[in-house]
Amino acid sequence: MSEQPLLEVRDLKTYFPIKRGLLSKTVGWVKAVDGVSFDIQPGKTLGLVGESGCGKTTVGRSILRLIPPTSGAVRYNGEDFLAFRGEQLRRQRRKMQIIFQDPVSSLNPRMRVGNIIGEPIEVHGIARGDEKRKLVTSLLKRVGLDENDASKYPHEFSGGQRQRIGIARALSLSPDFIVCDEPVSALDVSIQSQILNLLADLRAERNIAYLFIAHNLAVVEHFSDDVAVMYLGRIVEKADARELYANPKHPYTVALLSAAPEPDPRRKRDRIVLGGEVPSPADPPGGCPFHPRCQLTRDAATQAAGNPNQPVSVNYRGSTISLRVLDYDGTTEIESGGEHFRVLTKCVKQVPPLEPKTGAPGHVAACWVTK
Amino acid sequence: MATQPLLELKNLAIAFDTERGEIRPVQDVSLSVFTGQTLAIVGESGCGKSVTALSILRLIPSPPGKVLGGQVLFEGRDLLSLSEKQMQSVRGKDIAMIFQEPMTSLNPVFTIGEQIVEAVQLHQKVPTKKAYEIAEEALHDVGIADPSKRLFEYPHRLSGGMRQRVMIAMALSCQPKLLIADEPTTALDVTIQAQILELLRKLQRERGMSVLLITHDLGVVAENADAVAVMYASTIVEYAGVNDLFDSPQHPYTRGLFRAIPRIGHTRERLEAISGTVPSPARFPSGCKFHPRCPQMNGDPKCSADQPLLREVSPKHWAACHHIPDFDAKPVTPPTTDSRAEVVA
Repeated sequence: MSEQPLLEVRDLKTYFPIKRGLLSKTVGWVKAVDGVSFDIQPGKTLGLVGESGCGKTTVGRSILRLIPPTSGAVRYNGEDFLAFRGEQLRRQRRKMQIIFQDPVSSLNPRMRVGNIIGEPIEVHGIARGDEKRKLVTSLLKRVGLDENDASKYPHEFSGGQRQRIGIARALSLSPDFIVCDEPVSALDVSIQSQILNLLADLRAERNIAYLFIAHNLAVVEHFSDDVAVMYLGRIVEKADARELYANPKHPYTVALLSAAPEPDPRRKRDRIVLGGEVPSPADPPGGCPFHPRCQLTRDAATQAAGNPNQPVSVNYRGSTISLRVLDYDGTTEIESGGEHFRVLTKCVKQVPPLEPKTGAPGHVAACWVTK
Repeated sequence: MATQPLLELKNLAIAFDTERGEIRPVQDVSLSVFTGQTLAIVGESGCGKSVTALSILRLIPSPPGKVLGGQVLFEGRDLLSLSEKQMQSVRGKDIAMIFQEPMTSLNPVFTIGEQIVEAVQLHQKVPTKKAYEIAEEALHDVGIADPSKRLFEYPHRLSGGMRQRVMIAMALSCQPKLLIADEPTTALDVTIQAQILELLRKLQRERGMSVLLITHDLGVVAENADAVAVMYASTIVEYAGVNDLFDSPQHPYTRGLFRAIPRIGHTRERLEAISGTVPSPARFPSGCKFHPRCPQMNGDPKCSADQPLLREVSPKHWAACHHIPDFDAKPVTPPTTDSRAEVVA
């Protein structure tokens, strides 16, 4: 437990200005990432899940400083990465690589594969000439491509093969941390598992740590040691992968798990279909960002209205979830998706902290209602 | 006793002329959709599932596309023999279609209302005021809040899930008998996908409509389909009721697909992968098109020489593979009925 994390992210915030008018005056901020913290140990994988617009991609890019973070800290082996400048930054970047979702647009169509993989090797002064070519060949072979593929152009490859090229390029500088941004989302099902297996083998071989960003919950569970769920720029729940899927604590996680279509036609589930849409991050709801769509706070409000001083329990997803004692401060009516609901005032007024919940150690969630 | 299918494809074959010669993305496809039923066509990119769907409504641009043979029977009438004018009265009225991309399938310069009203008035002789009422009703049916206001808004004001609801409203405004849904939820988030899939199920129940669902997602298939056709490299390789298919997949490709997908709660160290890549329609292999990737082939020359035909390997379950026990003894029958239709009959 006392092992030094490879990567420590603390209270990371990345805001984008909203500009209007002739003089491009800044009229507001999109809080794409709003206070995200986590650690990744060497050789371990943190899965980051969430729906589009939740900020998961921005987290990955902010950590690598591909998008400058607004505030917060990113420490790599204990050193303040955000303070690095010039040559120091360049050297550090060797250690931190990224694999993109779209294997088509992330490879230069005018460069031969050998150069795509070889360029970083040369730029960082690792090898040139014959030595470089040997390195490229060994990388190509490692990711399951052929030596002769070095002289081809990206368009000559299928999607899965292009993703292999992207992986070879990321590996070329022997990184110990790779951000995988939806690495298999654009691939066919039969190809996805090939790429996931390759990434897993590389992790075992080279002790690479991954930040694995994806929206497919099953893929994330399969691939990750820990999983964090993001909603509107914040982490709302984080736990060991098995624990999170077996024992979700945040109502958003529960809804996400319940919404994922499962390849089993006989399985009849008590599905929670979330109403409404993900709110715009330019104008997020106050309090708990999930409260307008949260069934749990509605149920809790109904029960608490009758008996405000007792902890209540609600029937949720087919099982009874006991709720904790709240410093009850009444209920509030809100509008969501054209309908009106009563919810706990606390959920509307105050942002819940990410705090430990009952269950395995290290299981944290940001919810006022669950225990 | 068999009921007549609402839609029946018989040995459909489509070709495209390309710079690199003729390609055949759809070959010998036969399937049936019964009233009130959802048939899913599942397959990976380039397997011909979307081309099959488009060819039903004759939306394949010609040239370069052409129908090489086969029939598209809708209520017994061959759509391929209709004139363009007759076809226009089928499109939207009898058969409607929704697409993957709700962003690009709505016209950005017209309001939601104008676009639905156009579809309504194309097929129903109603005054504009009445058409707007129908449009408002349609928006209400697909769960759009405040439909009277939404009618006068432009598509850019709506989120992806809302746009897909508008597309569904437009498609259903003329009460079609068949809805073709081509990857309707692929571009959407999981919570929105769950909403749309449930909406489709609900509307289908209420209206007794049939759905031809095109998807690559086995989870979506399990949720919504009654019968499933698995396509690989231009042909149907397996065809069965949804429970049969998920209980005992017969074709090595289908089995490989099931083993390759990670499932929630089933953690495994490694996924089983199907080796190789999905073949491009320009370079389909000979014989069984799956043979270069097939774990069961074991160098059998038959697999690379002869294309296996769909045979009924167990009642109401068809597969096309030389390596199914007693395969040659089984009758070659195209899949023209299915478990659910039997129940219905």
